[in-house]
Amino acid sequence: MSNVKIKSKNLNVYYGDKQALFDVNLDLNEKEVTALIGPSGCGKSTFIRCINRMNDVIDICKVTGNIEMDGMNINDKDLDVVSLRERVGMVFQKPNPFPKSIYDNISYGPKIHGKGETKSELDQIVENSLKKSALWEEVKDRLDEPGTSLSGGQQQRLCIARAISVNPEVILMDEPCSALDPIATAKIEELIDELKKTYTIVIVTHSMAQAVRVSQKTGFFHLGKLIEVGKTEKIFKNPDNKMTQDYITGRFG
Amino acid sequence: MTKEERLKKRHRAEKRFRFYGLTSIFVALLFVVILVQNIFSKGSSAFKKTVITTEIFFDQELLEIQNGASQEEIMGADFYDIMIENLIKAYPAKDRDEEDELLKLFSGDAEIEIKKAFLNDNSLIGKTITLDLTASDDIDQLHKGNYPRDLPEERRRISDFQLVIYDYFVENKMISKNFNNYFFNNGDSRDPELAGIGGALVGSFYSILICLLLAFPVAVLASIYLEEFAPKNKITDFIEININNLAAVPSIVYGLLALQILLATIQLPRSTPLVAGITLALMTLPRIIIPCRASLKAVPPSIREGALAVGASKFQSVFHHVVPLALPGTLSGTIIGLAQALGETAPLILIGMVAFVVDIPSSPVDPSSSLPVQVYLWSESAERGFVEKTSATIMMLLSFLIVMNFIAVYLRQKFEKRWN
Repeated sequence: MSNVKIKSKNLNVYYGDKQALFDVNLDLNEKEVTALIGPSGCGKSTFIRCINRMNDVIDICKVTGNIEMDGMNINDKDLDVVSLRERVGMVFQKPNPFPKSIYDNISYGPKIHGKGETKSELDQIVENSLKKSALWEEVKDRLDEPGTSLSGGQQQRLCIARAISVNPEVILMDEPCSALDPIATAKIEELIDELKKTYTIVIVTHSMAQAVRVSQKTGFFHLGKLIEVGKTEKIFKNPDNKMTQDYITGRFG
Repeated sequence: MTKEERLKKRHRAEKRFRFYGLTSIFVALLFVVILVQNIFSKGSSAFKKTVITTEIFFDQELLEIQNGASQEEIMGADFYDIMIENLIKAYPAKDRDEEDELLKLFSGDAEIEIKKAFLNDNSLIGKTITLDLTASDDIDQLHKGNYPRDLPEERRRISDFQLVIYDYFVENKMISKNFNNYFFNNGDSRDPELAGIGGALVGSFYSILICLLLAFPVAVLASIYLEEFAPKNKITDFIEININNLAAVPSIVYGLLALQILLATIQLPRSTPLVAGITLALMTLPRIIIPCRASLKAVPPSIREGALAVGASKFQSVFHHVVPLALPGTLSGTIIGLAQALGETAPLILIGMVAFVVDIPSSPVDPSSSLPVQVYLWSESAERGFVEKTSATIMMLLSFLIVMNFIAVYLRQKFEKRWN
């Protein structure tokens, strides 16, 4: 059994009067891929956005309960979200590269965190990040071209490289393949397999097949509640809960 | 109704709508063409001035200075006698009365023009040169064909005898049209042939510059704060509604505000570009904030999230990513706001810019006019010469506005980055 990296206890999230998460207790293991599945609007994305405090940007959002990373309370008001997000990277549903060059897309994070003081250090970080995200071979000769000129799948890998560039411990992926074609999706999944050796990964997905392929642990959310969580194999072969069973067999959702 | 009939009806409705649309566009264009044609036909002659080619002999006896006189000496010297003695030779006049009528055909600046020729070459004494002297407004308009000759004499500003002289000039090819440098270089004048938009141009330039310096930073910072940092609550809603309302406040109200606060209370110098600039800045502020906010809003939230997710602070995500992306829209909004300010007349009239100012302002605290106010002033003048000047000033103003709008469109199209 691996170490628990992130631990949520009785996590509740409210958007104004509407409660989006109800008492979620979920442990995420270090250097493992945890998949979160469930119908749209069930709170999976809300949950992962609690891990890097992205919900802060929504004025009406209120988070109660506990969520810890290595024993540090993420939900602490005094916590510096900038250094939290340096440790917890995120990849979004739609590729969102900055409308700048490929190089600038990746070097931005290290620059603002004061990593890579010299040009050669930055070059090294850019190269390493692109290699880790399996994009280096495709773009090494055109680092000055805008990131937005890449294909959708390449853009998403660029965003993964951008997340890796600040050397985080955790990478959150919010339906990273939903805007991609199957070939690009396969590449990203391969990449996730590779990345889990170094990073703790949480992936929100609508594709059961993807969850089975990439994850070791799966959590099923429904209407803001974590219905069931366990080893991916068990969840998909022999779930304890009837609702999970119904969802993975496509009877609702 | 059969299916075919319904289909026909649908096609007819479509055709009808196209017809209405094209008609309204055509009507609108027609009015624009009429307006532009009207302005051009009236105004284009103002860019030329009528000159009378005259021989000037610099007679030492009529001058108290010598060849090689210094600039100061020349400036202080009297060229009146030289002017009179030479001008009356332009036509073989029989007596004093005829000479007087002849002299009236030249502009009031004839003496200065002769003096300037001497300033350029201070060894002219004893020599004869030919000079193109500006003709009076009456001759100017007559020569440009704007003045009817066939009116009875008592209803004409030009006497029959002056017409005889004019015809003599034409016959001897002494009269011609030159580029009207006075129109661009001179300030306002009571004499149309000497009046120019130089003062108004400089006044407008200073006013717009001050307006830009005040309004642009305030508007941009206010927009960024409101759009990116301000909490969304009733107070910000209230501020937003007020900004939108302020943008719709008639400009004359800003003039009243400036009159009361800037002139009466703070006692800034009236009729100056400084006050005009501040007034226009107040007026332009909401008109810049609105497009600025719109262009900030147009930056997709995913860019902000992308920056935040790699650990940028709110400030960094805004100033590293959002603002640069919104900049083209911001700049073009600003330029359009300034273009509106450039054409604004009412508030400037209230702060006294409507005063008759001959001198070209050398700083923003000198009394001055501005282009639209100059149009207003000249359009009220009785002299024929001001009609073409009014239209020519409108042409200048319009060309500035067109250039500014063109720059705005260019900035937006060229630098607006696309995202998917």
